[in-house]
Amino acid sequence: MSSDVRFTDFKSDKQPTWCPGCGDFGTMNGMMKALAETGNDPDNTFVVAGIGCSGKIGTYMHSYALHGVHGRALPVGTGVKMARPDIEVMVAGGDGDGYSIGAGHFVHAVRRNVDMTYCVMDNRIYGLTKGQASPTSRSDFETSTTPEGPKQPPVNPLALALASGASFIAQSFSSDALRHQEIVQKAVEHDGFGFVNVFSPCVTFNDVDTYDYFRDNLVDLKEEDHDPTNYEAAKQVILDSNKEYQGVMYQDEDSVPYHEQHGVTEDMSEIPDGAPDDAMDLVREFY
Amino acid sequence: MAEDLNWAVGGEAGDGIDSTGKIFAQALSRAGRHVFTSKDFASRIRGGYTAYKIRTSVDRVQSVVDRLDILVALTQRTIDENLDELHEDSAIIYDGERSWEAEIPEEMNAVDVPLKSLAEDAGGAIMRNIVALGAACEITGFDVEYLDEALEKRFGGKGSKIVENNKEAARAGQEYVQEHYDLDHLGYDLETTDNDYVLLNGNEAVGMGALAAGCRFYAGYPITPATSIMEYLTGRIEEYGGHVVQAEDELSAINMALGGARAGARSMTATSGAGIDLMTETFGLVATSETPLVIADVQRSGPSTGMPTKQEQGDLNMALYGGHGEVPRFVVAPTSIDECFWKTIEAFNLAEKYQTPVFLVSDLAMSVTEQTFAPETFDMDAVEIDRGKLVDDDSVDEWLDEQGRFRAHAVTDDGVSPRAIPGTIDGAHMSTGLEHDELGRRTEDQDERVQQVDKRNRKVETAKETESWDYREFGDEDADNLIISWGSNEGALAEALEYLEDDGIDVRVISVPYIFPRPDLSDEIDAADETIVVECNATGQFADLLEHDTLTRLKRINKYTGVRFKADELAEQITEKLSEEVPAQ
Repeated sequence: MSSDVRFTDFKSDKQPTWCPGCGDFGTMNGMMKALAETGNDPDNTFVVAGIGCSGKIGTYMHSYALHGVHGRALPVGTGVKMARPDIEVMVAGGDGDGYSIGAGHFVHAVRRNVDMTYCVMDNRIYGLTKGQASPTSRSDFETSTTPEGPKQPPVNPLALALASGASFIAQSFSSDALRHQEIVQKAVEHDGFGFVNVFSPCVTFNDVDTYDYFRDNLVDLKEEDHDPTNYEAAKQVILDSNKEYQGVMYQDEDSVPYHEQHGVTEDMSEIPDGAPDDAMDLVREFY
Repeated sequence: MAEDLNWAVGGEAGDGIDSTGKIFAQALSRAGRHVFTSKDFASRIRGGYTAYKIRTSVDRVQSVVDRLDILVALTQRTIDENLDELHEDSAIIYDGERSWEAEIPEEMNAVDVPLKSLAEDAGGAIMRNIVALGAACEITGFDVEYLDEALEKRFGGKGSKIVENNKEAARAGQEYVQEHYDLDHLGYDLETTDNDYVLLNGNEAVGMGALAAGCRFYAGYPITPATSIMEYLTGRIEEYGGHVVQAEDELSAINMALGGARAGARSMTATSGAGIDLMTETFGLVATSETPLVIADVQRSGPSTGMPTKQEQGDLNMALYGGHGEVPRFVVAPTSIDECFWKTIEAFNLAEKYQTPVFLVSDLAMSVTEQTFAPETFDMDAVEIDRGKLVDDDSVDEWLDEQGRFRAHAVTDDGVSPRAIPGTIDGAHMSTGLEHDELGRRTEDQDERVQQVDKRNRKVETAKETESWDYREFGDEDADNLIISWGSNEGALAEALEYLEDDGIDVRVISVPYIFPRPDLSDEIDAADETIVVECNATGQFADLLEHDTLTRLKRINKYTGVRFKADELAEQITEKLSEEVPAQ
């Protein structure tokens, strides 16, 4: 069945309401292509999204999906994966959704190493609420709520992931379609938590972190001879505040996903018609 | 009323009070006696007063009373805290060699046993509580061999040497009392029977019910007094292919459980007070996305952090009204420990049949209290599973629209839509907390909004017609006086009846396990001269509901000291309340 699946099968017939030119179009296309290329189909895929422009993705994609509350997409994805290790789980979030209100969940989803893919559409601004500073906004980025800039350093999501014990850390640029798809695909194929921070420019509210900016400044790790299995090398790239990179920064090839560590293998949706056969043993325990 | 014995062990947290009490309770249960336990503990790990109390009788016991017959006191505070309940025939077992000088009222039986040195002789000071248990057996004429059985159960895993040492410690306590005191068992002769009872508390019953009901996924965050549900499931749920996740917070816990439920697993989370507040954010999403989820709230004293280790039934309004907007829900509140088991199973069935969140509301008193039951009380053959309108690869077809899209939120007569879980071919669909159309896609269309709101509310109407929302009643059916209660007060009320009967007061008691939907009690209230609503909160949240339902002013008995109702105390309060004037209509 899967060999016949095309990436357009993951597309719904709903037209996106993202602004023309929004980076999220490219981000989503890459996610759909990565899912199709890795042999998944809409009926065995679960997409979870939070709130914000990124949260709309579940509507524009076709699969089992849940559009949840702000910042809590990762726990939902965790629940889906635990109950159904057979289901492919992809989680989408934004920089506000993931690194502000959902920062606590991010740290713990990373360290649990749940086998799912997490794509964060990072545009360094709050778009849907019309242009306030986000956790990844530059410290001098002027917005309606930070007229003189946030005056605090931006969150480095890659470093946060590294410090939390991530087994897969990558960054991509939504406009670099092939490379973005390739990176997301690696995250999907990774056994564990595949984290991809996607530069997904906001053409309406962010005139600093633009397509041109990323095109001119992004350094591709493919051309840098970077070895993602080398932790020290990954650390250097991730903590390098002078450059912006795309590519897979770090991958632990020995990663064992949470459900395997905990011996969760069964499809939990199937249960007997009544109490389990040996259920009276549960009572006898209390003799 | 059969002869009952009220026993307690008290000391500082960390003194092994809980395990000492549990061992004695198990010994009594092994001897075919009924047991009802209660705990008094502070919110700290070490230090602070803590006590474990046991009421035991050959007849069923389901409440505590204001009387203490035997007290094992490891500290002076244990004596001071319980002075009100001690009486002139009470015996107090204490260690006179300890640094504190016990001040024991003269009229009581002071039983000074060198607990520590006898324990050391038997193999270690840690066993001083077991020495006290041996002494208690001697004082009450209870065969110490039952204690041996409980010690084997408790320490069997640690090797025969440990078991033998403990048995020796118990014998040392027994013999010391034999040699130094002539108490003639204080008149007690604890009868034993051949019955094999099981001894469990409310949280264990909830956990056992969840496993019986096929719960496979549990996510929670530790909070008193709900944590022991998670502890029970951990290690057991795996045997059925399930899993427990300790989440980073309650927000995560309920979202994980939501994910598990949407993936098709019977899923659950449990918390208390402050944790429910955090979960409320996602509660509306659970309801609007029509996800079957069981959310247990084991109430404790609030508001805010309140008194975390004390009893209260103060979250009823939260369970009924919590969350912004208007969402259908079921609120089920077990009234006894055995009902904790059955109502948990029912909660899972309701959740899946109606694709709604179900609040399972329990309380601290019930959650930590252990009680004996005949094992058949938990007859697993009687467990029924109803998964509702789950569709499969074949039946999904009839729910597809013209474009072949699955109508996950189809508007139906009964308000319940088909449910396709991931993996069902052609069942892929989107769900959201946004108002949505039949396909689950966002809409602000006025007609679709009204259709979906009505559809969700119709589930409650269907459930009201289809399910039984009954109550339990006891006492005199024709009595002029009606007492209504919810939650764990039922046991105390059942026993209060016996005191009231002795005083010639006839009472009909109705105990309601359903808060929403709930039975209509108008006829019952109309038929009574006087109605009193009993609950462990200050404002009478359940009484408010009944007044709203029946347009009748009701008398109220409210306790919010942090301590559960006691049977004899409740009987007194009822007598007093009945003599008060009826409130103005």
